Amino acid sequence: MQQVYQSLFVIILLVSTCFAQEEGKTKIKEEQVSLSGTLTSGIDGEALIGAKVFIPKLNQGTYSNTYGYYSLSVPPGIYQVEFRYTGLDTRIIQIDLSENQNLDVEIGSKTQVIQEVEVNAKKGENVNSTKIGQIELDVEKVKTLPAFMGEVDVIKIIQLLPGVNSATEGGQGFYVRGGGPDQNLVLLDEATVYNAAHLFGFFSVFNVDAIKNVNLIKGGMPAQYGGRLSSVLEVNMNEGNNKEFGVKGGLGAISSRLTIEGPIKKDKGSFIASARRTYLDVIMKAAIPDTSPFAGSSYFFYDLNFKANYRLSPKDKVYFSAYYGQDQFDFGNREDDFSVEMPWGNGIMSARWNHLFSNKLFLNVSATMTDYLFSFGSQQDEFRFALESGIRDYGGKVDFSYFPNARHRIKFGTQYTYHIFTPTSVSASQAETVFDTGLAQKLYSHETGIYAQDEFDVNEKLRVNAGLRYSMYQHVGPFTRYIKTDLSNPDSTITYDRGDIIQFYQGLEPRLTARYSVGKASAIKAGYTYNYQYVHLTSLSAVSLPTDIWFPSTDIAKPQEGYQINLGYFQNFQNDTYETSVEFYYKELNNLIEYADGALPSDNVNDNTDNLLVFGHGYSYGVEVFLKKAIGKFNGWIGYTWSKTERVFEAINNGNPFPSKYDRRHDLSVVGTYVLSDRWTFGAAFVYATGNTLTLPTSFYIQNQDLLFQYGPRNSTRMVPYHRLDLSATLYDKPTKKFVDPETGEVKEKKKRFRSNWAFSVYNVYNRANPFFLYVDNDGSFIGGDFQITVKQVTLFPIIPSVTWNFEF
Amino acid sequence: MKKLIYILPFFAFLACTKEVKIPIPGYEEQVVIDGTIEIDGPPFVLLSTTKDIYSPTDLQAYLNSFISGATVTVSDGENTVVLDEVCSDEVPPGFEPFVADLFGVPADQLGEVRICAYTTFDASIFGQQGKTYNLTVEYAGETYTSSTTLEAPIPFDSVYWKPEKTTPSTEGQYGFSWVTLSDPADKYNAYFWEVKRINLDSAGNERDGLFTPTFNPVFDDEFFSGTTFDFAYENPMSFEDVDIPDIARGYYEVGDTVVIKFSSLDRDVYEYFEKKYIQINNGGSPFAVPANIPSNIEGGALGVWAGFAPHFDTLICKP
Repeated sequence: MQQVYQSLFVIILLVSTCFAQEEGKTKIKEEQVSLSGTLTSGIDGEALIGAKVFIPKLNQGTYSNTYGYYSLSVPPGIYQVEFRYTGLDTRIIQIDLSENQNLDVEIGSKTQVIQEVEVNAKKGENVNSTKIGQIELDVEKVKTLPAFMGEVDVIKIIQLLPGVNSATEGGQGFYVRGGGPDQNLVLLDEATVYNAAHLFGFFSVFNVDAIKNVNLIKGGMPAQYGGRLSSVLEVNMNEGNNKEFGVKGGLGAISSRLTIEGPIKKDKGSFIASARRTYLDVIMKAAIPDTSPFAGSSYFFYDLNFKANYRLSPKDKVYFSAYYGQDQFDFGNREDDFSVEMPWGNGIMSARWNHLFSNKLFLNVSATMTDYLFSFGSQQDEFRFALESGIRDYGGKVDFSYFPNARHRIKFGTQYTYHIFTPTSVSASQAETVFDTGLAQKLYSHETGIYAQDEFDVNEKLRVNAGLRYSMYQHVGPFTRYIKTDLSNPDSTITYDRGDIIQFYQGLEPRLTARYSVGKASAIKAGYTYNYQYVHLTSLSAVSLPTDIWFPSTDIAKPQEGYQINLGYFQNFQNDTYETSVEFYYKELNNLIEYADGALPSDNVNDNTDNLLVFGHGYSYGVEVFLKKAIGKFNGWIGYTWSKTERVFEAINNGNPFPSKYDRRHDLSVVGTYVLSDRWTFGAAFVYATGNTLTLPTSFYIQNQDLLFQYGPRNSTRMVPYHRLDLSATLYDKPTKKFVDPETGEVKEKKKRFRSNWAFSVYNVYNRANPFFLYVDNDGSFIGGDFQITVKQVTLFPIIPSVTWNFEF
Repeated sequence: MKKLIYILPFFAFLACTKEVKIPIPGYEEQVVIDGTIEIDGPPFVLLSTTKDIYSPTDLQAYLNSFISGATVTVSDGENTVVLDEVCSDEVPPGFEPFVADLFGVPADQLGEVRICAYTTFDASIFGQQGKTYNLTVEYAGETYTSSTTLEAPIPFDSVYWKPEKTTPSTEGQYGFSWVTLSDPADKYNAYFWEVKRINLDSAGNERDGLFTPTFNPVFDDEFFSGTTFDFAYENPMSFEDVDIPDIARGYYEVGDTVVIKFSSLDRDVYEYFEKKYIQINNGGSPFAVPANIPSNIEGGALGVWAGFAPHFDTLICKP
């Protein structure tokens, strides 16, 4: 009921602002003109995301969107307009705005001077925008931070931000404000990525050479996003240089990268293609002799990124993006006649069309496809076993951005996704005998959302972003529901035909954020969001594994839903050199899933996965403190989080609350880089976090001379705290080379086209033995009198130095 | 932990393991019931308690965990018998080796320790096929109850041995135990596989005293109900034997005579054993949900009250 009132409140708010807008129109209709266009880099023609357009005379400005598009409405006049983007020379253009104008601007140029004081386009945004719980990462900047095994990884850097935890040592799963890893919407050029990690989770699927920027929304999620409870991680791929061809790449300890980019037609369109491959398999091949029983065991992954864009007309631009990545793990033991193979990977595509209806109305249409597949095959003598799990999504969306006047920035649109889930399909045979493992279960569903939001200035001090999303979900046939009854009776089934609607869910998702300025350099922000999520990730193990299975909402598994309340104080110091914030959040999550105690994945056969699940709810609250310096030779941040996250499941722990896997009382990250000279840049990162929880046996007993364990309450044991320091140093080659002018005989300097650098990293500098997991081990026998039970801690990574050579021409 | 090493072969070389002492909260002492009844055999019940994970693990501590002084009753619906407490220090002469194996204590130390089991010589309560047996244990003011059914034993169609490919010098010498099984249709069946070798060792004794379960001795017919198929099991004793060469581990040798005890179980007992062997084989791996073993005992005790309906078959290992 509460939720309905909240929704009503937001609807009323939206409607009233529309009226206000109408009123406003009549008064100032003749007094407003708009300035709009696309911002690109003068160096390579890349569209600039989040570049700032600012008119000092009016103290008004705006930021470009994901496609580089901006629109600003102001009273007619002659203005100096500043176009700013981090790392590029600011363009200042005098514009006579007596009527609406379309102005595409290139910021920066090939000949730009390296500046003493770096321009920060985001200057002041910390305290001006309504964004709460949002952090943007500039991929170029993170390249000088320490990298695990030399692989620069944006997800690992995201994990260094307050409110974001890593799942396990080196793992890709990330937990935002007490939410599960499935509650993060990961988007690669607007297509959903279900599993952003390569096998075993140590490396992300995002090749840094192929991506431009990363934006994380951990609270105050705008209405345009939906389908996940906790966060949005938006990753945008580079578009490619539309001025000239270029090549860049890197040779690293475990992998190499190569990227080629260039114009399709100069200043009209461009493409970029990136490839990356690890070569652990080559090393293993060399290390394992052919005569070894383990010969043939190997592991590698590769990924390919491709993106092309083309400007069809000044008002139309099209994009095509694709990602394909594949992991291959093989293990064999000839002596035991035993082998395992695990191929798995993601395929992602998106096609987009941008259209400008007018200076005030911008349209984006996207079509996306996502495919994720994991398979496992094993063979022991004549027994063969195979398992497959996957998801395929086809989606489309239409988004409008409408800039009616200087006070309002409106977005509205609709999204649709068709999901096909294959939670598990199993086959097994023993020599000639094929076992009955039931039919491969596929689940089909439709997910739809419509939304509208308006970011508007109520007055000089108060800016509000109010939005409403309405989401719908249908689970449709074909489907077979197995009904488990008493163990001694056979199961009964209900069969649904193609197109039958098995279950329908819907929900209103109000979203509201507000910023209230208190002085020039400080603001109070607040946010409220309500979200629905129609997919679940079932995880059997304490670590994120590809065997975690995605599962859609069904008649049994209800959609996850939850709300979050945010309150924050933001303050900048020393003319925006230092940005600080303190954010409080409280979050409630309902219809969470866990496997019932003792469930096994093989039980999926002749059964539905959701029959093995139990349902519960959870809550999380905490405070995050963030201090950031983004300008100058030295920059970096300190993030500290205090939080508490608990789960309540009737079927687990006798219904008593228990700490979630992601419960972490303290989490501290200190990250910094220092530019010593144009040759050397140094980086460091330190993390400290309360130990993860896990379930260990509290007691042991003997049955038929076998030692057995009785486990304690769920997640009641806590590992020792995790801490680690990483260091990095990057050595750039000289940016210029000397040459003798053949005409004058003078020695001159010119910029080199071929540039390279050496990136050195040391992971876990003081070789801390951090816990990866604990287990209880036993040795000896009672009769022998040497029987012993010990708790053992496994540490995954000791100190690991690495070096990568990067080049570009 | 073997499985983890399998799955992370290339990171394993970096990983290291050390012993830690961290607090593991939540211990409470529970009664453990280890009870069995077999066709034609007496009920046999051992009672003990759970121990804190960090508690001492010497022999004395093990012996102290057994419970004496409980009242244990077994009923088949017609006859109800209160079991006698039989202790290790008062074993009738000639039964020492049997009892020693049962308790896991060396025969010559039986007199020094005192472990008590509950059983009876009253044949009216000996196991009969098709009957359901109810167990009641009263101890320290608590009552624990359970029941188990003796199913129909399922015979093999045939048993055989065939050599596996090993090395040229041992060609034809080692192989698994194979059987052909016709699983009855339209009925739930669950099985438990135990073995012992009865050929004589160099000292002139039977090689194995008691039956030993294989590493994963239980399975049910969920995937093959009503079908006839062949399957093999390894030799579990070979892994304990320090004298045999590595190449021979898991196999029976030419000349072995193996008695296979192939017991039918009811569904609850199967559940217990299935989860028990999963726990033993997972060994605390982080890739599995830590699972307590579901007991078929009501009233808060752990363990099992298990009815075994065995079919015995003898396999002579020859080509």
